[in-house]
Amino acid sequence: MLSVRNIVKQYASHRALDQVSLEVEHGKIFGLLGPNGAGKTSLIRIITQITGPDSGEVFFNGQPLNANHISQIGYLPEERGLYKKMEIGEQILYLAKLKGLSSQEATKRIRYWFEKLEMEDWWKKKVEDLSKGMQQKVQFVATILHQPELIILDEPFSGFDPVNADIIKNEILELNKQGATFIFSTHRMESVEELCDHIALIHHSKKILDGSVTEIKSTYRSNTYWLEYEGEYNLLQGDAIFSVLEQKQLAGKTAIKIQLRPGQSVNQVLLALLPHVSIQRLDEVIPTMNDIFIDKVKNVI
Amino acid sequence: MNKTLLIIEREYMSRVKKKSFIVMTILGPLIIALFYGLIIYFSIQGVTGTNNKIAVVNDNKTLTEQLVSNKNIQYDYVKKPLVEMKKSLKGSGYDYVLYLPEFALDKPEGIQILGEKQAGLNLSGKISDQIEELIRNQKLKESGLTQENVDKLKSSVDINVKKITETGADEDSSAGASTIIAYVAGILMFMFIMLYGIQVMRGVIEEKTSRIIEVMISSVKPFQLMMGKIIGIALVGLTQFILWIVLTTAISTVAVKAFVSEDDFKESTKVEQSVGKSAAASAMQDNPISKIQKSMANLEVGKIVTVFLFFFVGGYLFYSALYAAIGSAVDSETETQQFMLPVMMPLFLGYALSLSVVTNDPYGSIAFWLSMIPFTSPIAMMVRLPYGVPDWQLALSMIILIVGFIGTVWVAAKIYRVGILMYGKKTNFKEMIKWFSYKN
Repeated sequence: MLSVRNIVKQYASHRALDQVSLEVEHGKIFGLLGPNGAGKTSLIRIITQITGPDSGEVFFNGQPLNANHISQIGYLPEERGLYKKMEIGEQILYLAKLKGLSSQEATKRIRYWFEKLEMEDWWKKKVEDLSKGMQQKVQFVATILHQPELIILDEPFSGFDPVNADIIKNEILELNKQGATFIFSTHRMESVEELCDHIALIHHSKKILDGSVTEIKSTYRSNTYWLEYEGEYNLLQGDAIFSVLEQKQLAGKTAIKIQLRPGQSVNQVLLALLPHVSIQRLDEVIPTMNDIFIDKVKNVI
Repeated sequence: MNKTLLIIEREYMSRVKKKSFIVMTILGPLIIALFYGLIIYFSIQGVTGTNNKIAVVNDNKTLTEQLVSNKNIQYDYVKKPLVEMKKSLKGSGYDYVLYLPEFALDKPEGIQILGEKQAGLNLSGKISDQIEELIRNQKLKESGLTQENVDKLKSSVDINVKKITETGADEDSSAGASTIIAYVAGILMFMFIMLYGIQVMRGVIEEKTSRIIEVMISSVKPFQLMMGKIIGIALVGLTQFILWIVLTTAISTVAVKAFVSEDDFKESTKVEQSVGKSAAASAMQDNPISKIQKSMANLEVGKIVTVFLFFFVGGYLFYSALYAAIGSAVDSETETQQFMLPVMMPLFLGYALSLSVVTNDPYGSIAFWLSMIPFTSPIAMMVRLPYGVPDWQLALSMIILIVGFIGTVWVAAKIYRVGILMYGKKTNFKEMIKWFSYKN
């Protein structure tokens, strides 16, 4: 539904985006990752038409991005705020009207969301009377109120307590189920693993990784396992099948971290060990997104 | 356009609903009316109120003519010696004792005015004027002129300032009233541009510091946001100005009636009649009501108000765009100083020069240029207007101002769209110039 092609954005001496291309499929939750200053915000600002690219194109549902698409995109920036002196209800209403909703329709929807997120008595409150977490809720409602097809959330969970973060997470999943596509910009990897279907990693203005979360994870499998057993086994006997990376002795048990030799399978390991020891546990060591992120970013430098 | 309207609406409503706006709107005219009323009250009191009774002890044999009483001072020649008058002044009903000793006409020394209170500068000045006149008359008589001839020498001059209009007819004008109106218009213009220009800047900074700006510009174009803010605040200014005019007129009318009772008017006329013709003429000049009323009739008030509104809106747009650009380039109000100076300077300069040079020489070349350059024209033109400005100059100045504000809006928009997204960076002029080269 969103196709970003060869975007270049230059700021004086600094190139913020260098030939970045992305494909965001309909109904997916897309994670846009990268360290601070990598160019994520620049890219989002181009998608939300806050700025324009120097070269390259963006297509929204097959059409070149234009002003009509503004009302189909909801954007929750990382640096977000509200008018301090304005009443909450009035404020969301104003933001919704700017997105093209009628006063009547917007009021109806605000009431719905206020009820859903337990904010019923907030209408007349002023922003300065709300806590930061409460303000985030208001901003979230303002972002999704016009029922955008594409919702871009930049660090959506920063500032939320765990309870509210969970509420918002569930709302995101529910909206996603109803068909909304999300772009999720963050460097909090645990939320990426929980929510994202697909990720792209931007570093030093370039895209350095792009793929579905399961795909990326499987390419980062290193055939490494944790194996725990009771009994005695001379590890040298299995050297043809695996190499031992780490070894621990725990109360009569031995735990080893092994990496398979090329062409070997984990079954071979079990066959070799079973006659001698009793196997307690076998786990594949799967890299977390965090590991992949750090690995990728470090290797590029 | 629809979005700009929404922004204008919010900017307007959020300000008009503020308590400070309501308080200022009501308090402003009250203060103006109070001043207006007080000035009139005191000047009328000055004309009719204080009446000094003065006992004159004349030991001078050469001054045969007596001091003539007027509306403020009543002279009574007493036959008692000075020492006795000094003792009995309290309770005698006299405010002061004036002592005229024997002196040579060439050397009038030893004249004293005594009283429980010290006689004010104004009073002693008036008395000394009158004594000087007595002495002069006496000298003239001694040189051989008859009393009749001395009287003939007196003449009262009342200059009637008239201006020839383009049609050739002459119309009454009063330089004094023109100056007053010029000052008031100049000060108001300066105040409005400053006040509301800075409100635009504050508004932009507020949006930046609260980070609502990021949310806003994902819905609207920076230009729409800037123009919406500028226009919204302009409407607030106009609303306040119009409310002030309406309220001031209403309150002033009431205030004038309350301060200046019918009796005061009657009394002042009575005194004028009794004092004689020349005094009456001077009283007429001293009376600010008749003066202002007279010249108000001559000046085209409708034209002044219309032109004021135009130059207010034009001057405000011209400057507020610059203020918006400044607001966008900084993170907090404390950082604005370095940018404020170059924007404030021409405004201050225009203000200072308008109230000095232009009021002195409203048709001179400095006045002309100040009223053409858009940085100073809103104030300078308002100051010139009451003295009369050729229509072509007015039109030219207006056109230049319109071109000027299109220019500043264009410049400001370029800085604004970059500036609003810059946080935590110290901006300088070099940086701002760089922003110009950025493509949207």
